[in-house]
Amino acid sequence: MLALEFPPINEILRWQDVFPSFNKVAAISVLAALIASVIFIIAGNADGSKAPRGIRNFAEAIVEFVENQIILPTMGSSGRGWTPFLLSLFSFIYLCNVPGIIPIIQMPATARMALPLFLSLLVWVVFIGVGFKHQGLGYLKNSLFPPGVPAPLYILVTPIEFISTFLVRPFSLTVRLFANMLAGHILLVTFALLTKELVQGDSVALIPVGILPFFMLVFLTAFEVLVAFLQAYIFTILAAVYIGGAAHPEH
Amino acid sequence: MLRAVVTYGSEGPQVLLTAEGGEEGYSEYTFADCAIIPDGESPGTKIESLEACDEGPSPIMPEAKEFFWGSGAFVVFALLMRFFLYPRLRRSMDARDASIREAHESAEAERDAARGEVSSYETALAEVRAEVAARIDAARSTVEQERTARLSEVNDAIAARRATASAEVDAAHGAARPQVGTAVATVASRAVELATGRAPDPNAVSRVVDELMNTGVSQ
Repeated sequence: MLALEFPPINEILRWQDVFPSFNKVAAISVLAALIASVIFIIAGNADGSKAPRGIRNFAEAIVEFVENQIILPTMGSSGRGWTPFLLSLFSFIYLCNVPGIIPIIQMPATARMALPLFLSLLVWVVFIGVGFKHQGLGYLKNSLFPPGVPAPLYILVTPIEFISTFLVRPFSLTVRLFANMLAGHILLVTFALLTKELVQGDSVALIPVGILPFFMLVFLTAFEVLVAFLQAYIFTILAAVYIGGAAHPEH
Repeated sequence: MLRAVVTYGSEGPQVLLTAEGGEEGYSEYTFADCAIIPDGESPGTKIESLEACDEGPSPIMPEAKEFFWGSGAFVVFALLMRFFLYPRLRRSMDARDASIREAHESAEAERDAARGEVSSYETALAEVRAEVAARIDAARSTVEQERTARLSEVNDAIAARRATASAEVDAAHGAARPQVGTAVATVASRAVELATGRAPDPNAVSRVVDELMNTGVSQ
């Protein structure tokens, strides 16, 4: 009989501290910021007058992706000023997601609650600040009392708008990123453990069966590459939508 | 006094010996068996069960150290990006875009200028071609006139020479005729004489020869 003991969920998230108060997730966060900084420093030092190649080409592709696929469709050309922030957000989240499939590291920093929570709170503070900056106190009025709605319906609409705009947005941003990355991490652990148990188990007959979860593991690893990019994109584009909506309520 | 706890798991029976009264007992577990060794504990320290291990982080609650390290890393990166990394990259991208745009515009201007030059060249070429065609037509017309005139002159000269030659031929023919008649009459008289043995009348022979020659010429 096959006895697969799946470790408790908190056990697959345990990491011995590298030094006090600095564990693997913290190390991944710092490395992500460091790698992104190095990429953009190298890109900035390259000769800009020639056709971009290598790392510079990669960095420019990211910049143009954020500008053309995230900022322009959601905020228009007036949103170009937000490029550094959204570029930081996208690069940082992506580089925190990707370690989930890198051998030895195999842990996305965003599969822990702390980082998505901080980034969501930051976006929350930013878009509310932008709303007050562009509309003053009218931001609250426009947010809670959408124009064109019959007055009696405000009894129903205003609480919904308050909850959806000021409470649910940071919560949904956090949970979406955190849950997707944690789910991917657990799936990879599951199929890796299943493959190991089948291949290294007592029964020789089960060894060929171990190929099936192994293929699933390979497929899910490739899928996690897509998920890592997609979650960074979704988080960033939603941040852009929230900021753009706060700056230009008519949109 | 020792107490033995026997458990039966997937790996067979396991025995855990513990001492009653809080004394250190016998156990097959140490902190080295834990996924994480609790702070202040050495890996070789024996523990009663794995429950003594660090339970690990909550899967949902954010950990302060991860929060502060993550937020610190992002804030530093975002500030670097805002004030140093992005402006530098953007400036060089804009400079390259501007140089490409300028090069494109100057290329457009040069192309327009080249098109103008090609147009003026084609106009000049058309004028030259028209002039060449006119000159060729004029030359061809002149040559044709000269050829006609020369041909006419040559034909006139040929006709004159032919008339002169014809007159000379007629004159020579007229001069040779009496001599030929006399010679023929002599030959004929001699032939008759040889055939008949007597000489014919010279006048009759002359008359017959004249008639025959006139008849032959007319025929």
